[in-house]
Order: sequence, then C-alpha cells, then structure tokens
Amino acid sequence: MAKIDLSNISHSYNPNDPNPVYALNPFSMTWENGNRYAILGPSGCGKTTMLNIVSGLVRPSAGRILFDDKDVTDLKTEDRNIAQVFQFPVIYNTMTVYENLAFPLKCRDFSKSKTDERVNSVAETLNLKSFLNSPARKLTADQKQLISLGRGLVREDVAAVLMDEPLTVIDPDLKFRLRRNLKEINEQYKTTLVYVTHDQNEAMTFADNIIVMSEGEVVQTGSPKELFERPNTTFVGYFIGSPAMNLFESEASSNDSVKINNTLIKTHTNLSNLKTRNIKLGIRSEFIKIARNQNENLIDVNVEKVEDLGNYKLITAKMGDLTIKSKVTRETEIPNQNVKLHIPAEKCCVYEDNKLI
Amino acid sequence: MNKLYIFLKYFFIVVWTVFVVAPFLWALTTSFKDFQSVNGGVTYIPWVDFEPNLEGWKVLIKSPAKGGVDIIEPYFNSLFVTCTASLISIILGTLSAYALSRYTFKAGFVKNNDITFFFISQRIMPPIVLSIPFFLFLSSINLLDSLTGLIVVYIVLLMPIAVWIMVDFFNKVPREIDETALIDGCNPYQAFLKVVLPNSIPGLIVAGMFCIIFGWIDFFFAFILTFTEVQLLPVKIVALNSSVTPWWSLSASALVSVAPLIIVAFIVERYLSKGNLSGAIK
Repeated sequence: MAKIDLSNISHSYNPNDPNPVYALNPFSMTWENGNRYAILGPSGCGKTTMLNIVSGLVRPSAGRILFDDKDVTDLKTEDRNIAQVFQFPVIYNTMTVYENLAFPLKCRDFSKSKTDERVNSVAETLNLKSFLNSPARKLTADQKQLISLGRGLVREDVAAVLMDEPLTVIDPDLKFRLRRNLKEINEQYKTTLVYVTHDQNEAMTFADNIIVMSEGEVVQTGSPKELFERPNTTFVGYFIGSPAMNLFESEASSNDSVKINNTLIKTHTNLSNLKTRNIKLGIRSEFIKIARNQNENLIDVNVEKVEDLGNYKLITAKMGDLTIKSKVTRETEIPNQNVKLHIPAEKCCVYEDNKLI
Repeated sequence: MNKLYIFLKYFFIVVWTVFVVAPFLWALTTSFKDFQSVNGGVTYIPWVDFEPNLEGWKVLIKSPAKGGVDIIEPYFNSLFVTCTASLISIILGTLSAYALSRYTFKAGFVKNNDITFFFISQRIMPPIVLSIPFFLFLSSINLLDSLTGLIVVYIVLLMPIAVWIMVDFFNKVPREIDETALIDGCNPYQAFLKVVLPNSIPGLIVAGMFCIIFGWIDFFFAFILTFTEVQLLPVKIVALNSSVTPWWSLSASALVSVAPLIIVAFIVERYLSKGNLSGAIK
C-alpha cells in the first residue's frame, strides 16, 4: 500500500516525431493510500495509458512517478509491487485456479502456509473456492475474470490494484455484487483501488474520487457529488449524469443574472469579470422542478414528452428552440401543455468558453 | 436434400479413405511377397492369394555381405539427426520468434517482418542452390560425411519453419499475458519460461511436427553431404534398388521409414482429441 504521486506526467507514443501526438497531456495528481479512485472518460481518452504508466508497462515521455515519495519512474514493472487487471480475462491456461491465484505470491517467494491462507481468503471473497483445483481454462469468461481480479487482490502489501474496465465481461448481477465486494476489500484491507471505466454509473457507485478525462486531458477530479453538482467544464456536465446536464446558450445581463430566450435567470455566480457576453448556463435536470410558490427564476415551457422511467418521470419540454429536461418524482402531476419550471439559482453553473466560472 | 448431403459426405469420405489407405495396404501385402507372387498378377489376401514370407523384411537387417542392406544403423542415424536438429531448431526458433513477436527491431529499412521473411526465404530457394555452399562449408570445417555436419545443415533448414510457425503463434498470444506475468512479479525471462512458453505448447507441437517431418524425409542433402562413413535412411533405401526392382524389400523399408511419422501423428492426434490445442488462448 502506498501513496502514489504523479508529477507532471505526459506521454506521447511518437515522441521523436516533429509533431508528436500526446496521448496524455501534462498533469499532476496524488492518489492517497487506501482510497478508491475511478478514471472516467470516453474510449481513447488516455485512461489505459495512465494505468500502464503507473504499473510501469509504459514509461512516460516526461514527469515522475513516486510511490510513498520514492521515485519509481525507471523501476521495472515486476519491481513495483503493483497489481493490474485488464479488460479481458488474462489467465494462465496451463495452471489450475489455485496455481493462478498463488502465482504472484510464488513469484515473490511467499511461504506455502501464507500462500494457502491468502489464496483461500481471496477465493472465498470471489466465490471461487469450489473451483480451486479445476484447470483455469475450463471456467467461463466471467469466472476467468474473477481469477484475474483475484491475482490482483491476493497480495496484501500491493501498492495499488489497477483495474482497466474489469467488469465488462461480467453479467450485471454479479457486477453489482463484485463492486460491493471490491468496496468491502478496500475498507477491510485499505488497498488503494483504481478503476478505469467509461460507465459513469460504475464510477459514481464505486469511487470516492473520480478523475474525468477527455482527449488526453484530466478535466476534473473530485467526489461524485462535486462532479455532479459543479462540473468544471461543459464536457463533464454532458458526460456525467443521465440525462446529460441542460446547457443553454445565454447572455450575461447583470453581475449575477443571465438571459435565456429573453427570460432572466438569477445565479450565484459573479459575472462581473466576463471577457465575453456569450456564455452557457448549465443546470441538472434533477434540480429543475415544476414551480409552486416561487416567484423568480421561472421559465414558461411547453411539455413535449413525459417518459415514465420507473422510479422517476422525465419531462422533455421546449422553450422556443431550447429543449429542457427535468426529472420529477413519479407522483408529480404534469399538466399537458404549458408549465412553469423553476430553476434554483444556487444550482446554476455558468460556463465561459466551456469552463466553469 | 439432407439424405443426398449425407450420402455425398460419406461417399467422399470413403473415396478419400481408400485413396489414403490403399497404398499402405498395397505396401503391406507386397512386403510379404516374393518375386513369384509380385509378378504373378494382382493378389491381396495372404495364404489365399499368395504364400507370405519374410524375405523382404529380412533383407533390411541382413548385412551387405549376406546379400542384405542393413538399414538399422542408417535408421538410427536418421532418428538421431532428425531429433537433434529438430530440438535445436525448435529451441533457437522459439527464442527468435518470441523476440520477433514482442520486441521491435529496426536496422535501416529492415524491420521485424523483413527479418521473419528472411528466415522463411531460406526455404523458398531451391535446395540445389544451397548444395555447393553447404558442401564447401562442411568441407572447410571437416564435417563432411559426419552426423554433426548433417545436424548443422538440418538446423539451417528446419529453423526457418520453427520461426515462421512460432512467430505467427506468439502474435496470437495476447501481450497482456506477458504483461500480467510482469505485474505478478516475473522478470521478462521468467514471464517467457513460466507463462508464455507453457501457453505455447500447441504451437511448439505443430512446429516440432513439421521439423520432424521435413528432417526425416530429406533425401537431397543426406545424399550430397555423405559418402561412406555416415548414411541416412532415405539414401539407404534408394540403395536397395537394383536391376530387378525388389518391390518386397522396398515396400518393407517404406513402411519402416513411415512408422515414426505415424507414431508422431498418432501422439499429436491424441493430444488434439483431448482438447489441449483448442482454447489455449483466452
């Protein structure tokens, strides 16, 4: 277990090219010991590169990696004591499940009794106990992935367990249970877990810190609540949350108000230092409700569609050309046509050049 | 339609089986015949059509002084040369193939694929082109007409096959297996020996099989590079021929020379039927 510092890391796969393309733009970050992190972003945004840099499979073009303040940038993978689980199951076909799980301990000369104890404990957690003596190649894809996961968890002193979309091949039911198991393991053993995913629900339910990435850039780091309520960029607002954040082209009209379609919306943002008057107003559909006694920040909309999505209703409404989405409880009565919606000022995010003010 | 399909399927299987098995049956019956039986028309069933005798087989083990050809020594020479050359070729070929599959080499315009092609190009040129260089080379190091010389030449001939098969095989083994082994604490050599190699046994068996077949059946180099000290089986069998073709002893020697390959095929087939070759990756 270790604190991991990534200091000014950047990486290009063609660094000698006159115009190198960077898979990772320079960033710095600290992963505290024993926390759960999720790296979230669309495919090709540099998530896996970041993991491979930490595990030592890729040497960064620039920057340093420190494990507990010790520089490991030039340390080989096998000497870093790190675990990594890949997207698709990687198992040693010629070995039994027990031998697979014991392999990382065998490579590090653990005693037979310690190996037995750790393998049995991990097999118990992952429901693999009854398969310990079976050849690993005979298991199903999701069981094989559990073995990969088990090999990551079998070492107690591992600096961190890095998981690269590890639950892709696992069915939803087991996925849910495993995520809970991983959380328990993290709480019990204080193992630092880093989980790469492009699924925001996975990230939100698993991690206490989420790193959002886009096109090789770390765009925001924060708790699920922070990312949800105060997205740093319109990309984060759009990428996180279902449905995506409502984003309206708007115009600043005073120090704290914006105009959308000639309707004045008050915000809690200081707009006095704007460089441009063209800005975007962002608000989550969860915070937009049908107006009751409020007398400001109201917008008149025409209800276009109401979808019953089980535990909530999703209203799709129009204000001129603008489309607004609002999540309300199932019990809410929704008039057929014109509705007044309330936009709470404290939940409004204002973006200039797609960045939060 | 379905019945026609089944009929055609079995019809072609039967035709193919006859095509494959008939020469063996012919050789087997002929090996137990004598001059009279061979020249006395088409006969197949022993004791009914003809009286079997072991003359054809005895010739193979009798010394030349007693009118035989004695293939025992050439037989073991062939076994020794083929097995040793195949083993060395597989070891060297596997190491080269792993390097070519996992690491990037570049020397001017020559890259990994060009190096792999260079290996296999050794097999593209006609053997006759290599005969004089090999002859001069072995002669210069005093290895003409020796088992060691033949092994050296056969390694040159068999290693490209091993490299070619194993490069393709390693390319299909996901790199994540090596990476996982490194993460689990192996150094690159241990990762290769403990993880990648055991996963590559099917490829090694296929490469080994091809090396053994090509080594065992070679006549050309065995003929060119040996004289009196050392003889390999194919050359000895040809020496059986005389003005009166001895079909019986030729048939017996053909069966004896094919036997090791049948045994190899049988072992590989057993291995295949156990499912050990399938699902080796992922």
